[in-house]
Amino acid sequence: MNLLCVQCVIEVMSSLLRVILVFAAFTGTAYAISTADHTKFKELQENFKSGPEVTRACIKCHTEAAKQLHKTKHWTWEFLNPDNKQRLGKRNILNNFCITPQSNFAHCAACHIGYGWIDESFDFAAEENVDCLVCHDTTGSYRKAGDNGGLPRETVDLTYVAQNVSSTSRDTCGACHFYGGGGNGVKHGDMDDSLAVPERELDVHMDAVGEDFTCATCHKHVEHDIAGSRYAPEAAHSEDYHVHRKVFEEEDNAHCRACHGNRPHKKADKSRLNNHAKKIACQTCHVPRIARGGVATRMTWDWSTAGQLDETGEPLKKHVDGNLVYHGKRGSFTYAEDSEPEYIWFNGEVRYVLLNERVALNEDGYVEINSFAGSADDGKSRIWPVKVFRGVQPYDPIMGTMVVPHTTGLDEDAYWRGFDWEKAITAGMLSAGQPFSGKVDFIKTQMSWPINHMVAPAEDAVGCDECHIKNGRLKDIDGIYIPSRDASQKLDLAGWAIALLTLVGVVMHGLGRIVSYLWSKRSCPSE
Amino acid sequence: MRHNMKHQKSIIAALVVILLGMSSMAEAAKGNWKKGRIYYRMVCTDCHAKEAGGKISPSEKTKAEWLDYFEKNIHGPQDAPTKYTASYFVSHEYRESIKDTNRAAKKLLKIPEEQLLEDVKAFLVHTAKDSDQPTSCE
Amino acid sequence: MSVRVMIFKRFERFWHWAQAGLIIVLLFSGFEIHGSYKILGFEDAVTIHRTVAWSLVTLWVFAIFWHFTTDEWKQYVPTLKKVNAMIRYYLLGIFIRAPHPFRQTMLRKHNPLQRLAYLFLWVVISPMIWATGWAYIFYARWEDFGLDQYLTLEQVAFFHAIGAFMMLVFLIAHMYLITTGRTVMAHMKAMLTGWEEIDPEHEEK
Repeated sequence: MNLLCVQCVIEVMSSLLRVILVFAAFTGTAYAISTADHTKFKELQENFKSGPEVTRACIKCHTEAAKQLHKTKHWTWEFLNPDNKQRLGKRNILNNFCITPQSNFAHCAACHIGYGWIDESFDFAAEENVDCLVCHDTTGSYRKAGDNGGLPRETVDLTYVAQNVSSTSRDTCGACHFYGGGGNGVKHGDMDDSLAVPERELDVHMDAVGEDFTCATCHKHVEHDIAGSRYAPEAAHSEDYHVHRKVFEEEDNAHCRACHGNRPHKKADKSRLNNHAKKIACQTCHVPRIARGGVATRMTWDWSTAGQLDETGEPLKKHVDGNLVYHGKRGSFTYAEDSEPEYIWFNGEVRYVLLNERVALNEDGYVEINSFAGSADDGKSRIWPVKVFRGVQPYDPIMGTMVVPHTTGLDEDAYWRGFDWEKAITAGMLSAGQPFSGKVDFIKTQMSWPINHMVAPAEDAVGCDECHIKNGRLKDIDGIYIPSRDASQKLDLAGWAIALLTLVGVVMHGLGRIVSYLWSKRSCPSE
Repeated sequence: MRHNMKHQKSIIAALVVILLGMSSMAEAAKGNWKKGRIYYRMVCTDCHAKEAGGKISPSEKTKAEWLDYFEKNIHGPQDAPTKYTASYFVSHEYRESIKDTNRAAKKLLKIPEEQLLEDVKAFLVHTAKDSDQPTSCE
Repeated sequence: MSVRVMIFKRFERFWHWAQAGLIIVLLFSGFEIHGSYKILGFEDAVTIHRTVAWSLVTLWVFAIFWHFTTDEWKQYVPTLKKVNAMIRYYLLGIFIRAPHPFRQTMLRKHNPLQRLAYLFLWVVISPMIWATGWAYIFYARWEDFGLDQYLTLEQVAFFHAIGAFMMLVFLIAHMYLITTGRTVMAHMKAMLTGWEEIDPEHEEK
């Protein structure tokens, strides 16, 4: 019989239709389907045993990729501030979280886009040392081990991951950036794993069932160099704006106005808000609070209390409300969730206290490891929200400098094994090539982190009343007159006094008339 | 297929080629953990937090326990099961019933039930108690 | 015997009452923006204040036109004649029911003290409020006009608030003085209906 089997055709057609529907749903939400299917590439039909093997396969086709990456901060961990010529980047600076990767690269390079940065001998020129997978994985199964300079865990199926690569995602960027400072949400206050699948309320752009922006939607890249820098950020809005970067420019930054322009409030009743943009960064109103995604962010870190062990000899750990508040290896912590940031004048100039500099305390008694410049009248500052992170950390009281503790590793000098600050710092400073007196003391430090992410929907933006009020959010911002916050108290006193006297005067006058009227009635009853 | 397909070989073969090509692109067969994550976080977690007795987390169960949970297909505590099956909560009927208040259910309304179930399973296995957790310095 | 005289024409009455209402709303919303209390909320207070301010500007355009086309502006030409008598009347005469030293006519509807007070209102208080108010509204464009070198928002707000306090004092005194006519309600009635009752035998020639 040559008749078509009707039932078969219907079955086949219906499953085909179903696949088309699934396909349509996928393209609608998750990610674009590429024109290249990496599972079919003959270069990837291998049983990959190591990261560099995968990279060698990648760069057979993507011939320039590793060379491009070699030029970026993600690779060099180095940044020359074009304004003040400070040599920055992760490998040079220190902070008041884990302090510095120096002498701890085997551990800290778990967040380096390379393979095998254990010490100074790491080959930065080797193309196969670039880790393509950590940024381009789509399977969610790629993990770096954390103790071997950024090599993948042995459990990772490298062939499976290599065959399922695509554009970067919130997950791949987040694999490091959500966990800055040592854990989920610890460092930034506006980045944690709640941004992997955010609701609209948490981030109006990244809304996983809405606009579904990835990090790269705003952080545009050219030749693998990604826009956005907190070493030399742009604090003020200039007139030009651009959505797509076309040339490789180190100083290009991601910013709101790239899409929204300089007069973003389109509704007539909101247009006066555009005028605020001359003094206020978008983030100040549109990121109303930090750590809004249900993950607390760390606010303080006191290294001086570290060293307590429990009865089994393991580092003591204490939790409060699910947050680690004490760890024998690290000291004590406090947290904040869904809380107001602090506000400062910021003009984009950031200065770091580097290892070879003598420290000085600010008026509150803190060393400002990074200090943000700005004022009301320099013409280039905006009011910015910042998370201010305060800590207590070791320093050298004789030299007057900050220090590099060798914290991680299996050697006895490592603080997390030996719990001896002097040994750990001696080793750390030796590795960093810096002089050390041998004395250790602790000093209060603070850092500021500009708040940019977790942009709320317009209806949840900071309301006028929250700043236009005495003791409101901007109570510490000086140099500008804020109606409702700054009325002259002397004028008020005089004004209300005169108004009150007038009122008393007319009331007395009126009473006088009533009395005289009644008096006249009594004395002249005939009238 | 129950019927003899000898005579329709060429047509069916052509259809199958298209079907396989598209399904491999869409990963339809395996279950997409990212899609499952959206549904789990925005539908399952949302309802559990608001109505059904507090927080739930994929890391409550091991991979095997999650697969067993879906195998048994009983929603709620296994010793005090509710009247619903687990798969009811990915059904068209359920998604239809909450689509006006739940944006994720609305967005994922058209996905076939079996597919969505696979997606959610993929996510739960991916994030289960015994899964590979992200690298952290803690 | 008294005669009824049309003192306040229809437009004048409309102008007066509309202006009174707008000024009261401006004071109320303005002092909230100033930070004196929280009732409307800052955003709504600003929106209302601006809308009402522009309404008052519009009203004034018509009022100024009316004043010049009807020569009514002459009502505010100051005179010192009888000022002392007026002061003496308010301080003393009013209590002993002495005759009012001033008689209204169509040509002179304000007594000498009123003339001075209104002149002060039009020449000092209002311009101060308008000048600073416009500076406030166009704050964002100061740079375009080069004003940012000469002005600070603090100064503008300071003088705007001084104007507001003076307006408030004026309003209090004005509302009281309404009651000092032939009868307590006489002035009020006149401003509502336009008609004032005048004793012809006392009318000055």
